Amino acid sequence: MALIEINNLVKVFDKQTVLAGVNLSLVEGDVKVVMGPSGCGKSTLLRCLNRLIEPTSGTIIFRGEDITKPEVDVRALRQSIGFVFQQFALYRHLTVLENVTLALRKIRGMSRSEAKEKALHELSRLDMAIHCDKYPSQISGGQKQRVALARALAMDPAVVVFDEPTSALDPIMSREVAMLIKNLHRDNVTIMCVTHDLLLGRYLSERVAFLDHGIIKAEDTFENLCNNHSDPQIRSFFEREASTS
Amino acid sequence: MSFLDIVLQLIQGVNYTVLVTLTCSATGLVVGLIVVGLRRLSFPGLRFLLDSFTYIFRAIPVLVLLFMVYFGLPMSGLKVPPLLAMALSLGLIAGAYIAEVFRGALDLVDASEIIAAQSMGMSRLQILISIEFPQMIRFAFPGMVNEFTTVLKYSPFAYTVGIPEITKQAMNLASTTMRGIEIYFAVGILYFVIYRIFLAGLQLLERHYRVPGLEPK
Repeated sequence: MALIEINNLVKVFDKQTVLAGVNLSLVEGDVKVVMGPSGCGKSTLLRCLNRLIEPTSGTIIFRGEDITKPEVDVRALRQSIGFVFQQFALYRHLTVLENVTLALRKIRGMSRSEAKEKALHELSRLDMAIHCDKYPSQISGGQKQRVALARALAMDPAVVVFDEPTSALDPIMSREVAMLIKNLHRDNVTIMCVTHDLLLGRYLSERVAFLDHGIIKAEDTFENLCNNHSDPQIRSFFEREASTS
Repeated sequence: MSFLDIVLQLIQGVNYTVLVTLTCSATGLVVGLIVVGLRRLSFPGLRFLLDSFTYIFRAIPVLVLLFMVYFGLPMSGLKVPPLLAMALSLGLIAGAYIAEVFRGALDLVDASEIIAAQSMGMSRLQILISIEFPQMIRFAFPGMVNEFTTVLKYSPFAYTVGIPEITKQAMNLASTTMRGIEIYFAVGILYFVIYRIFLAGLQLLERHYRVPGLEPK
């Protein structure tokens, strides 16, 4: 049974249709990579998952429950979906450790010592415990992304969602983050990743969903999408991305 | 009477000057936080009232509002003690200015951090208290110091409602000694010393809470 099942999801902003009927599913323990050109609706799709953006119509079944219903406890839902953002979005006034403990204390109601223990566990897992007293401005982009990931993982989410996790990083750091996400998958963490980065996409999963003009136009292996797909636009997207990667 | 004797006499009013300044600054700080916080939480219908408050209170002269509170309210049966009258006039006006300083500083908080906190499941109030306010106060520090300095400079109005602060002491002394120039020169020195001590205290606080990468520009 799918952990997340998106059915005919539509989002319209001021007469502009950003999502035009997305269908997608994600099985527990699996990795789903979604690629597509800029402005195709990737980020909107992710934000609909945790209701940061309210879908216009369609359903999102998460753990068997339609989370688009108005009576859904949105804050509880958000705690089950870990988010890692393109620009890291670390809290600049807090240390690395405090970035991870904040939600544990405020939302989970953990004591300072409990939250610290949990946070240090997650930071150690990502080799960041040594930097726990530093502020975001004192660590590199790759390290920031690790902290953002530790912050998401500390909440024990059912799925971790990555929104262009390597787009703000140089190639070496991108590879480092790709390995990190792959390791998470090996640890049986369910992952959804939207990216432009073909190397990252290929590294994470054999199959990729291609989102364009608000719909999933194809879902197949990279090889098939790049070489054998009937739609020349899809072939050219993957060829172009492959040549720029 | 030597210049030192004049200073020593005036020092009797320093406690009151400091008390008025601290009371009005604290009132301004709390009012500023409440105004900007309620505005940020976007309670329906409240925005107009909050904007009206900052608009009107920044336009009213301190002395006029002080007289309205201290001499006006007793006419409707509400007697206000002098220090409270200062808080309700100078303090509220400072609050209106500080709210505007905060409003500008709040815009410097990165929207992505707020979205990240929402994604974690934090409530709007939790985000305001744990993420927006701590950053906002750091960004607003220079503006806040400016406003607290203005409060200190307006504190002599307290003499009009009978608080025996430095200026009141100076007026009494000048009327009996007729050495106005020396006395008011000494008053100026005392205000400067108080200002420097306040500033040093605030700078210590700022240094203590300074975060790399988040220094006010």
